[in-house]
Amino acid sequence: MALGSFFGSFDLSAFFNALILGVSIASIWLIAALGLTIIYGTAGVINMAHGEFIMLGAYSSYMLQNYFGLPFLLCVPAAFIIVAAVGLVLERGLIRYLYKRPLDTLLATFGVSLVLMQGVRLIFGSDPKYLAVPPIFTSNFQLGFVNISAFRVVVLAITIALVAALWALFYRTRFGVQVRAVMQDKEMAASFGINSDRIYMLTFAIGAGLAGLAGSLFGVLNIVLPTMGAGYVVQAFLVVVVGGGTLAGSVVAGGATGELQSIFAYFTNDTFARFVLYVLIVVFLRVRPQGLFAPSATRR
Amino acid sequence: MNIYHNVKAQWLAYAAFFLLLASLPIFVSDSFLLNQFATYGVFGMLALSISLCWGFGGILNLGQGIPFGLGAYGMAMTMQMQTQDASNPIPPFMLNNSLDHLPLLWEPFRHAALGIVLALVVPTLFCAIFGGLMFRARVSGPFFAIMTLAMLSAWFTLILDIQPYTNGANGITPPSPLKLGDYAVDPYSPVAYWSVLALLLVATVGAKLMTLSRFGLVVQAVRGDAERVRFLGYSVAGYETTVYTIAGFIAAVAGCCWVVLTQYVSPAQFDTTFSLSMVIWAGIGGRLSLIGAIIGAFLIQGAQSYLGDTFLNTWLLVLGAFFILVVRFLPKGLAGLVESILGRLSMPSKSNGNDVAAHRLYPQPGE
Repeated sequence: MALGSFFGSFDLSAFFNALILGVSIASIWLIAALGLTIIYGTAGVINMAHGEFIMLGAYSSYMLQNYFGLPFLLCVPAAFIIVAAVGLVLERGLIRYLYKRPLDTLLATFGVSLVLMQGVRLIFGSDPKYLAVPPIFTSNFQLGFVNISAFRVVVLAITIALVAALWALFYRTRFGVQVRAVMQDKEMAASFGINSDRIYMLTFAIGAGLAGLAGSLFGVLNIVLPTMGAGYVVQAFLVVVVGGGTLAGSVVAGGATGELQSIFAYFTNDTFARFVLYVLIVVFLRVRPQGLFAPSATRR
Repeated sequence: MNIYHNVKAQWLAYAAFFLLLASLPIFVSDSFLLNQFATYGVFGMLALSISLCWGFGGILNLGQGIPFGLGAYGMAMTMQMQTQDASNPIPPFMLNNSLDHLPLLWEPFRHAALGIVLALVVPTLFCAIFGGLMFRARVSGPFFAIMTLAMLSAWFTLILDIQPYTNGANGITPPSPLKLGDYAVDPYSPVAYWSVLALLLVATVGAKLMTLSRFGLVVQAVRGDAERVRFLGYSVAGYETTVYTIAGFIAAVAGCCWVVLTQYVSPAQFDTTFSLSMVIWAGIGGRLSLIGAIIGAFLIQGAQSYLGDTFLNTWLLVLGAFFILVVRFLPKGLAGLVESILGRLSMPSKSNGNDVAAHRLYPQPGE
């Protein structure tokens, strides 16, 4: 392609639209990665079942909506609670025996993801399900020459609210102080009377619940399928890896990768953009293997 | 002394195992079944490569589908070009995707020998570059596993996306078997089975010799504690890249064999589930034992083919649950179970010593 035609095809308003879409993609990837960030950052557990937690969140919203007639806005917090409970059971039954073997948590949670996926398929079948939302969410915004669906704005708002809430939880509460103490030095924290076992348990449950909440939103953006989790989990992992496992890192990494994906997709297409992005991340890790904002203190 | 750790006994077990496999065509006359067993041999090669990389090198590799798939695509392109001639110069699917001449990417595959060499060299080179980049940056453990997974998913989308060159989701189905010179390799013949078995044998013996060598010792030391090996003056990144690349080469060979046997390749070879199931084979069979990993592949794939029909809906459920149990209670897999049983038999009074060895597997800082 000649340089002239390249710039000739450049359309400012379409490019602006791509930038706005990038913010939306970033918010989706970030909200998918939030739970993973907390679980990895606190306990060092690589949770391969995270995508299936997202899927469970979508299905629990579907179930509540269709069998109990719950309005969508109540399904979102309900999905948080249901999936958090599932995460709690999983942590108590399996993960807590594996904290000393991080690679094995990856494998065991992959086994869990197979079980969850097939279990949901047996219960609900493999045909797609749909989540209904209030009609104001399905409309489109027209802001100048920028066009964006209302629900994507809702997702963005919820993401911002969640990040703020998590920041407050980790930096403004007693529980947050305990979590950060356990993160930095588990033995030292334990000697000051912090029950690290309980902290791990609660953070795992919160992380799982966040995945469930994300799932109830993704169920509206996309169709609900037993295999839907696999589509989100790789992006979520990349956000955590690039960010370095901290909340601030994930926010910046989510924003950067989402925006880059959208810009590359504007110039080429969606799948090729993803390939370029992944290769860029490999190169980035060559320069900064610990991620953007790695915790400075020693970890265990 | 536990007989499990006796090197002579290990070689004897290998010899018995491969003799048993080699005699299989005498008992099995059904050529379809023989072809299926040969594909199990390919899976055995993959499990072997995972065992080498993960069990001995401590590098968990969730993207072994990349060298496998690249090798498979290279072989499929070679076989496809063997069926094209002057009157019919380009594969039919390209015409459907409105290409009027052979793309540059396919040009080298006109020559069968060059095509096969490329099918082996390109994936190996990819592993060397990717592994080199990652290990030099000291990306290791779970982070490396996630990066291989991301790379795999990137390749999957790329292969799907460039439909005019790869026929997208439909994949490539070479219409006739591979011709080496004037000889056509019939995928349903005992010769094909024995060839795959011979390659598996060469790979296994090579890998076993490697683990027994000085190089293998350093690699296992890196698995134990990479930092200490680095302090001793070894180039940890060099050793890690080498073992990762060798595993990739074995997977590329497996990919070539796979296409010769099935005459089919599709992006499903780059699917994350397939690569993760290779890890499951090695994990259940025993990642620290080469032969254990191969047997794991045979067991799981065999069970999937035969029990899978009966438990069609619950197969993944059973496999997942079984894998969780193995990870939780048998980190060394079934081979570890054999090890501890043999240990009990050979020294009934001192079973404690064996427990210590098993226990030392748990907290490995290098992992």
